[in-house]
Amino acid sequence: MKALYALYSDPDAAQRAVNSLKLSGGSLGIGERQIVVVSSEPFDGYDFSDEHSQTRIFLIASLGGICGALLGLLFVRFTQFVYPLPTGGMPIAPHWTNGIITYETTMLGAILTTVVTLLVTAQLPHFGPRLSDPEIWQGKILVGVTDPPEKARPELEKQLRLAGASQVKTV
Amino acid sequence: MAKTAEQIRADLLRPLVRTSPAYWFAVAVAGSMVLAGVFAFSYQVYHGLGVWGLNWPVFWAFDITNFVFWIGISHAGTLISAILRLANASWRRPVTRCAEAITVFALSIGAIIPICHLGRPWLFFWLVPYPSERHIWPNFRSPLLWDFVAILTYLSGSSLFLLLPMIPDAGAARDLVKGWRKHLYSLMSLGWEGTPKQWHRLESAMHIMAIAIIPVAVSVHTIVSWDFAMTPVPGWHSTIFGPYFVVGAIFSGVAGLILAMALLRKFLHLEDYLEPIHFDHLGKLLLTFSLLWVYFTFAEHITAWYGNDVAEMNVLWATIRGPFAPLFWAMVFCNFIIPFPLLAIKRLRTITGTCIASCTIVIGMWLERFLIIVPTLETKFLPYSWGSYSPTWVEITLTVAGFGMMALLYLVFSKLVPMISMWELEAGVRKAPIYRRQAVHFEPQAATAKAGLAGAEPFATDVSR
Amino acid sequence: MTHKWAMVIDLDRCTGCEACVVACHAENNIGTAGADQAARGRAKHWIRVERYWEGEYPNAKLRFQPVLCQQCDDAPCEPVCPTYASYHTPEGLNAQVYNRCIGTRFCANACPYTVRFLNFYNPEWDKPLNLQLNPDVSVRSVGIMEKCTFCVQRIRSAEIQAESEKRELKDGEFNPACVQTCPPKAMVFGDLNDPNSEVSRLARSGRSTKLLGELGTRPNVNYLQQESGKNNG
Repeated sequence: MKALYALYSDPDAAQRAVNSLKLSGGSLGIGERQIVVVSSEPFDGYDFSDEHSQTRIFLIASLGGICGALLGLLFVRFTQFVYPLPTGGMPIAPHWTNGIITYETTMLGAILTTVVTLLVTAQLPHFGPRLSDPEIWQGKILVGVTDPPEKARPELEKQLRLAGASQVKTV
Repeated sequence: MAKTAEQIRADLLRPLVRTSPAYWFAVAVAGSMVLAGVFAFSYQVYHGLGVWGLNWPVFWAFDITNFVFWIGISHAGTLISAILRLANASWRRPVTRCAEAITVFALSIGAIIPICHLGRPWLFFWLVPYPSERHIWPNFRSPLLWDFVAILTYLSGSSLFLLLPMIPDAGAARDLVKGWRKHLYSLMSLGWEGTPKQWHRLESAMHIMAIAIIPVAVSVHTIVSWDFAMTPVPGWHSTIFGPYFVVGAIFSGVAGLILAMALLRKFLHLEDYLEPIHFDHLGKLLLTFSLLWVYFTFAEHITAWYGNDVAEMNVLWATIRGPFAPLFWAMVFCNFIIPFPLLAIKRLRTITGTCIASCTIVIGMWLERFLIIVPTLETKFLPYSWGSYSPTWVEITLTVAGFGMMALLYLVFSKLVPMISMWELEAGVRKAPIYRRQAVHFEPQAATAKAGLAGAEPFATDVSR
Repeated sequence: MTHKWAMVIDLDRCTGCEACVVACHAENNIGTAGADQAARGRAKHWIRVERYWEGEYPNAKLRFQPVLCQQCDDAPCEPVCPTYASYHTPEGLNAQVYNRCIGTRFCANACPYTVRFLNFYNPEWDKPLNLQLNPDVSVRSVGIMEKCTFCVQRIRSAEIQAESEKRELKDGEFNPACVQTCPPKAMVFGDLNDPNSEVSRLARSGRSTKLLGELGTRPNVNYLQQESGKNNG
């Protein structure tokens, strides 16, 4: 993949870069999806990170829990009635004990659903091309544009430098 | 903490690539303990359970003691990762991964023990619900099946809880470590990039996991305690077992964590990351749980003593005055008398102090599990059925092998994965932006003129830690 | 008519001779543990005679109490078995299914009467004792739990015989080995669902008690207490 990017040691500078790229994006022929931010840690409280914070994962996890509960309970009752063997004077499908199994499968359902949702929405595993730079691991934030049109490159470089980057790199 | 991100990464990735002779020695010792256990287990399978010290009426002893012990140790990670995460306690950051690792490994060991203790261990898979040719399913009314489902859930949950925060660190290792390990970390990182969207999804997922894993952990040890409480025999048939075991589990888990942290600190040279303040905080937690343990133990025993039921009294006297008295009082010493001053007096609540307390607590909690199981079985209702128990070399070897397995798994893990979560540590070190936005600005000249505060610093726009 | 098997043991008649113990071993292929293993507590006496005494010889007062599996209606050993090796049959017996048992030993720990036993080793019989084995009873291998079955092989054999002859079972037609052997006839076995059987009659007697009945296990072995003022000494 081709990209043009700069590294910022200060999240404010990174935010300025993202803002100016978004403002001029239309006129330079860049879509919002081409603006990429990469960092080595999460940054809360900045627009460039918070705009992705909307998530339905809590709802999905709850639904996963309910599914787990139903599957667990139905499975246990099925096994108890398919070959009913009385024990200890208890009913064949006691609610007390089936409740314990149902509780566990609820939690298991919620946990597995959460993990699957994470992998799907974060697009993991992803073994295709990635935009990265070793300086990220020194705490810098990478802001860049993937596949920039040739004509727009000088303008993009200027904006990235204005925001506070000392060096603009290409890949 | 004046370390840059680069220094942090260098410090935490260094143990992955540099190995000292002490490491190989530790691996050799732990490995030989495990091998001894494998030999002992093979001997047991070949000859039968008769090679153990079990008899009529003591059908469970070291085996189930170890099972409950390891499941108990596994509660360390949940407390630190989940509860402290939800409480947003910042001091948890260097501690989460080593705690979560203890959880996963202790659970794995705890999960193997029920297989090894069976009379016919080659048929352990009959506990798994699958459509068998015998047209029979397992009995879900049995607490052992609740154990199976609960431990499965907890092991899945805590493994994922360990693996999810490892993804970004595997990404860092992938980019910073050279050689054959690059491929391993490439795989482990799942192609992690580090976009804000990925960070948000990861943090949301971890938030949910933190909420979900706490009730699972509570239920797991409650269910383990119900292996005893669901029987009508004296000393076991007590409603207090659920909470008693959960408190005991967290107690032994925190002690195990302190010991693991102390060893990591020393051998991986993490003195700048695992600081005395962390041991101080954990020490206070340990003190709280020591007091809680005393409370539950007292409540359980006074109920038996005051109620004066013949069968219960026989078990009580056997435990605190009879043949088990030395073990009982050793347990009280180890769980309370020795740790209390070490943990309560601030001057003594140092790394060394908390480590000594943790050592005694780990021993004391192992004794506690033993004293729950064997005195009851030796002293059931009908006096003619009273018996006695002593372990054989096979059971002792298997017990030792459990500790060896834990050490070995931990040693291997510390060589493959940074033991402190790098990105979480950094995120904590970085100044919190919310304070930046809400900071108060005022004119330095007005302030100095008004109050004659010469040289007073204006409010900074950012708050240093 | 469904049967409900039960037993009555008259503690006034029991002399503590332990003939029942020997008969049970012979009938049910229970191996002898040997002196060494018995000292370690590995003996498997499906029925045992418990002996309690007060005072010293020659003024000791003794009581004998044969204890065997009580075949409880609400058996605590049944729900805890993960593989249904211990479950309740329609005829009121607590069945032990050897080939389902994987040896978790939970049932033994749950039993308040401690009447369940584990095969710690594979049983061996020195020749020619192996020729004495009962072909109607399986030989249990290592790791399997076992206990008194009320001689279920004799129950089934009698039931099959009666069915093939198209008649009802008669009271006293067959007995478990211990009942058959007891010299003072302290033990009686039969069908509680038959109000006229000897077992039903004795179970209704004023002397009839249950061992550890307060636990709620609802055992099917009734113990007839000694007449007051008498003892076995």
